[in-house]
Amino acid sequence: MTGVFLALLKGVPVALAVTGLAFLIGAVLGIPLVLMRRARSWLPRLIARIYIDVMRGIPPVVWLFIIFFGLGSGIIALSPFRAAVLGMGLISAAYLAEIYRGGFLTLPAGQNAAAVALGLTRLDTLRYVLAPQVLRVSVAPMATFLVSLLKDTTVASTIGVRDVMMLVTQQAQAAGGGFAPFIAAAVLYILLSIPVAVLARTMDARMRGRIAA
Amino acid sequence: MSEAQTPAGPPVVSLKKINIRYGNHHAVRDVSLDIARGEVVAMVGPSGAGKSTLLRAINMLETPSSGTLHVGDFTFSLDHRLSQKELLALRRSTGMVFQQFNLFPHMTVEKNISLPQMRVLGRSRAEADKVTARLLERVHLADKAKAYPARLSGGQQQRIAIARALALDPKVMLFDEPTSALDPELGLDVLEVMRELAADGMTMIVVTHEIAFAAEVADRVIVMADGEIIEQGPPDQVIRNPQLPRTQKFFRAILDRH
Ligand SMILES: Nc1ncnc2c1ncn2[C@@H]1O[C@H](COP(=O)(O)OP(=O)(O)OP(=O)(O)O)[C@@H](O)[C@H]1O
Ligand SMILES: [Mg+2]
Repeated sequence: MTGVFLALLKGVPVALAVTGLAFLIGAVLGIPLVLMRRARSWLPRLIARIYIDVMRGIPPVVWLFIIFFGLGSGIIALSPFRAAVLGMGLISAAYLAEIYRGGFLTLPAGQNAAAVALGLTRLDTLRYVLAPQVLRVSVAPMATFLVSLLKDTTVASTIGVRDVMMLVTQQAQAAGGGFAPFIAAAVLYILLSIPVAVLARTMDARMRGRIAA
Repeated sequence: MSEAQTPAGPPVVSLKKINIRYGNHHAVRDVSLDIARGEVVAMVGPSGAGKSTLLRAINMLETPSSGTLHVGDFTFSLDHRLSQKELLALRRSTGMVFQQFNLFPHMTVEKNISLPQMRVLGRSRAEADKVTARLLERVHLADKAKAYPARLSGGQQQRIAIARALALDPKVMLFDEPTSALDPELGLDVLEVMRELAADGMTMIVVTHEIAFAAEVADRVIVMADGEIIEQGPPDQVIRNPQLPRTQKFFRAILDRH
């Protein structure tokens, strides 16, 4: 069992890299997406909405196949790793945009009115008044999403990324079908997600503490 | 204050035939109003009369469907949509204080007051902080510069909100029920600051239910009902001796509550 566990550890850096990079892409792309979702004109709103619904509707495994075998073979050659990062990043953007949107909805309407009345431009209002407050309330749901993303990226093994899950499958086959590798993987993923959850809670408490009475 | 009764020069704020609609609801009807430099106007009237709507039209937080709006150096015809640039210019000429204070909770008191100066007027941080310090003295909260708004009482927050608006050197200050969200004792400090502001010659439009404050500080009382100005004049006349039965009833109802 310990041997299996140690073997799986080799997959951790790849799993973390896919998760981290996909999250980063999603966190950045989620910003224009939520702004489009909240735009005054209907066209950007519609586009953002369709993107979000489509990305959240497709099973990740299907989406990765489309990116890797469809896009990857025909248009640009993508390594399994890059295809996984891109694919999971594009999905993350949809989820994170919705998390940001929820953050905007928690802001009292008076915040925007006060900024507007002071004569701040729309960009300044966003940058100095709204976004920092949205970010604060988004920390906790973002961390929850990060943990679920870590688990979801196990599908990357299906397109050949040598992550933890790939090693699990190999170990299981080598051992002739025992389930020890799966137990080891479960333990490993729990251990990986705990620090994220703890970090999220501390950051969330710190950020809220400042605003709350 | 009573000196302002015979205003010299052009009005600081001038509304001509302003109309505001929410769908089918005609919230402000053909309202015209001139306010002189240094004049303090109290706006009163029953709930739903359109007081907030009219006040928020002066800095275009509400968009009138027609009319002409003049504030400070700017005159806008509202038949067409104002450009972003025109809107910013208008808002730089006005300061607004809200019932709910609306301080930015993630910034210290100092930052709340300094940041708009830096972004809107282009002041340096040092300049802005100097103005902020002076204004904090003026609202009697010099010791709260580094506090976050959540640590302050409602009355203190509202005085910070007044300082934040004043920091941009507005031509007119707009107040929408500045003490309505406060316990009566906490409201007193806010009213005191407003009284000092009026004495310093600031042009002010104050939507309020504080009739005593209106009687003491205002040069003119405007009574609104159903989207129209139904009566206006010096407080002595309008409050003590209202002409319309509707106005008489309104003031009687308010005085009975006190
Ligand atoms: N955003 C809005 N959408 C639709 N109707 C509105 C909106 N804001 C105000 N109204 C309506 O316009 C009318 C005037 O409202 P307003 O808030 O200006 O009244 P008010 O005189 O300030 O009343 P109060 O003393 O209760 O604050 C009311 O009938 C109100 O219901
Ligand atoms: Mg109102």
